[in-house]
Amino acid sequence: MDFFNFLGPTREAKARLEQHRLRLYRIAYAWTHNAALADDLVQETLAKALQKSGQLRDPNAGEAWLYSILANCYRDHFRRSRVTEEIDENTITHESTPEKESSEQQVVLKVREAIARLSEGQRQVVTLVDIQGLSYMEVAQILNVPIGTVMSRLCRARHALKDLLGDFAPRTAAEESKIRRIK
Amino acid sequence: MNEQQKFSDEFLNAFVDDQLTPEEKAQVYARLSGNEALNRQICELRKVRDLVQLAYKEPPMPTRGMATLSVGRKIGLGVAAGVMLIIGGITGWFLHQPSANQVASVAQQAPGEDTPAKVLFHVSDGNTEHLKSVLDDVEDLMKHYRRSHQKSRVEVITNGEGLGLVLAGISPYAERIQKMQKEYHDLTFVACQNTIERYQQELGLTAKLLPGVVIIDSGVAQIMRRQHQGWAYIQG
Repeated sequence: MDFFNFLGPTREAKARLEQHRLRLYRIAYAWTHNAALADDLVQETLAKALQKSGQLRDPNAGEAWLYSILANCYRDHFRRSRVTEEIDENTITHESTPEKESSEQQVVLKVREAIARLSEGQRQVVTLVDIQGLSYMEVAQILNVPIGTVMSRLCRARHALKDLLGDFAPRTAAEESKIRRIK
Repeated sequence: MNEQQKFSDEFLNAFVDDQLTPEEKAQVYARLSGNEALNRQICELRKVRDLVQLAYKEPPMPTRGMATLSVGRKIGLGVAAGVMLIIGGITGWFLHQPSANQVASVAQQAPGEDTPAKVLFHVSDGNTEHLKSVLDDVEDLMKHYRRSHQKSRVEVITNGEGLGLVLAGISPYAERIQKMQKEYHDLTFVACQNTIERYQQELGLTAKLLPGVVIIDSGVAQIMRRQHQGWAYIQG
């Protein structure tokens, strides 16, 4: 595209990476439920990707590659801060707003709360498959686990989510408080 | 696999995520029609998946505003916005092309060898002639992909009057559709549950689908999901 040639190759690479920012951010946010941390992780991911972009022959095949960098950054982040945070104990909470939300917003918050209750591994798999629409094989490569693990985690995650979310129609007060009592 | 055997949860999840081989998919399709429990199970899995998608469609942004690579925030955003505009423009262009051109342009998009081309045909018009031309287009596209050894996933989503295409006893092209399903395993015909319900209520008839047709909650929602996942849209 002339537009990119005009900007030069480095800018082209940057612009291409920038297109992925929101998609990466979505996943990073789903993993951490912390906007600032998610933004940092995405920033780190894109910076690393830019450094290594020479290694990537096909720019269109780069998406799964970006997610594996993100997964590494995410893991490293918790490895660095292990003294204070253990991954498995890192129960993420959701900053819920008490104001009256639209019903769609309520659904959104409820689903995020349910996602926050999943184990680390399940959360990663279910978000990569559902939000990003990646194949099981890609997810296995990104997280560096066998494909069977991807399938069983996904299966357990969806099962747990189904139980946690129940049916949205009868939203009783009791049900609300049960789900609110997360941490 | 006999009638008593049940699919494992992993298997059904893989079906919902389109991760099965054509043969495995065929097993599920074969059992889908008339099996309400299985339909419900699949519907529930889809619902969970849709909810997860919905929950992160618009994640809260960091208060300081998103960082950008060193191009400088404003320029970076400008470029991103420009790129989005171009993408929007191209998408809009495709949407406004007459059908044949659309198919040609979509067919020419050549994703990487391993990434399947993903195309959805939206059928909402029940005119017989019109349906024929849609099926012609779908078949041409499938042939093209086969010839060029391009992996593909093609969905024909029917709603509104287009539902007639996949109704047993009503569809003028029942045999042709079955032949196409047999011939191309990457091709799926999809019916909208909302339309089916409306059809049953308004006409007091039971809607019977052609074998192998998949039911989804809402045709419109499915189209949005697919577009969100990067599928090309063709108005059939």
